[in-house]
Amino acid sequence: MAGKGGATPATYAPSPSTKKDKKKPSTFADADWVRPDGRSFHQCRPAFLKTAAVNSASGSAYAEFGSTKVIVSVFGPRESKKAMMYSDVGRLNCNVSYTTFATPIRGQGADSKEVSSVLHKALEGAIILESFPKTTVDVFALVLESGGSDLPVIISCASLALADAGIMLYDLITSVSVSCLGKNLVIDPLPEEESNQDGSFMIACMPSRDEITQLTLTGEWSTPKINEATQLCLDACKKLGKIMRSCLKEAVSGGSQEEEL
Amino acid sequence: MFTVSAMVGLSLGEKQFIKGGIAQDLRTDGRKRSTYRPIFVETGVIPQANGSARVMIGATEVIASVKAELGRPNPSHPDKGKLSIFVDCSPTAEPSFEGRGGDDLASELSLALERCLLGGKSGAGAGIDLASLSIVEGKVCWDLYIDGLVISSDGNLLDALGAAIKAALSNTGIPKVQVASGASPDELPEVDISDEEFLQFDTSRFPVIVTLTKVGSHYIVDATSEEESQMSSALSVSVNREGQICGVTKRGGAGLDPSVILDMIYFAKTISEQLINKLDSQIAAAEACEEDDS
Repeated sequence: MAGKGGATPATYAPSPSTKKDKKKPSTFADADWVRPDGRSFHQCRPAFLKTAAVNSASGSAYAEFGSTKVIVSVFGPRESKKAMMYSDVGRLNCNVSYTTFATPIRGQGADSKEVSSVLHKALEGAIILESFPKTTVDVFALVLESGGSDLPVIISCASLALADAGIMLYDLITSVSVSCLGKNLVIDPLPEEESNQDGSFMIACMPSRDEITQLTLTGEWSTPKINEATQLCLDACKKLGKIMRSCLKEAVSGGSQEEEL
Repeated sequence: MFTVSAMVGLSLGEKQFIKGGIAQDLRTDGRKRSTYRPIFVETGVIPQANGSARVMIGATEVIASVKAELGRPNPSHPDKGKLSIFVDCSPTAEPSFEGRGGDDLASELSLALERCLLGGKSGAGAGIDLASLSIVEGKVCWDLYIDGLVISSDGNLLDALGAAIKAALSNTGIPKVQVASGASPDELPEVDISDEEFLQFDTSRFPVIVTLTKVGSHYIVDATSEEESQMSSALSVSVNREGQICGVTKRGGAGLDPSVILDMIYFAKTISEQLINKLDSQIAAAEACEEDDS
């Protein structure tokens, strides 16, 4: 990009975040900076969850964590494609896509193939696949707005949709991510924080069984820091699990609800 | 998905034998749970590439090659070069790698390698300092293409690929570049690539990957594909020389207790020290061997 001296730029690309990014890293390294949305480091964004968002699906859910908005539909269990071999356990098929308007620059969403495979790995451990042999359950996720921590929101929302579809689960899956910025651990990071992070840490777990189904970590971490991040994530996952549970109960008696983690 | 479990036809008795052996700390090939198979490294195997290495761990064999090309830096990181990792699983290694099976495995391996070796967004914990690949800020940089090829597969592909990439990078020479001065800031500067002087990478901080495969209630290192077929889940941990954890990926659906995961990470950290030393001496030996030949 030609950054200098252009009185009339040849093309116009709205990029509100790039300007700020250059200054930010220095402030993130400080011991006490304020997060862009004014949260404390260990505070999650308010979550809004709703089941049965799509009529034609067997089950569906809509989740809104701050500005991250995700909708997940679950179809099936239905007959596996003819080409598939016989299988005495059910199959899980996950597909995540980003709308073209999900990101500030059009069509710049994360690689959907990567996200889909992580979603698959996070969910498969919780689904009782033996309960629907020879058939396939399709999980389709659509990110309407990418506002940071997309993947954990997709995973949590997908498990809510699976529960709504009446698929047998060992437990709900909840997922939370943490960013490491300088010395600080920041839960439920925003895009600005994610793009400057020194390391990321994500956990998907079954809160009532206290089991981790998926875990990814990048960057440079010492073992005490990993311990701290795990504790932080597990606590948040437990709280999120309670909210999701009450959302499902609420759906039976009618209405939806908003709660703060 | 990650393993080729479908292809390993094991009888109930054989499965029991593998699991029972692991429980008693004596595996089918006589190893203990924490012992690696012999590792063999050969460098400079591909003359066309800037750097290459072949790594064999038991019957698993992989090749990694590093190619450097001049390119334009990413606008969001004008002061950094680019690095990408691709893995190819050829059907010559395993019939199940043909078609989608191989593609899925390959993309999963590349993703895991990127996560384990390239560090965080800001570059912390990266095996290679991308800033060292920059030539003219915002204009020209080196694009490093790392390609891994699975030649023969007998489990533990990720660790083997990680080791091969480390060896290939320490074998890599990047040509020295002279930038012609006086070019105006708007144009692409002219660069002169030297074919005599080469720059070497500092790979001392490059992490190694240790995969712990959980079979029953125990975990083992360096699983063969027979053992992998019996796994409930596996954790790949990348650790650098300082003992810092640079990446973790989990595979296999079964859930793990948080305390077990932390235990496994700690265990991987202990194991990694020996592995790094063994690998470094192997790489040094391979380099010395190559110099003797030339």
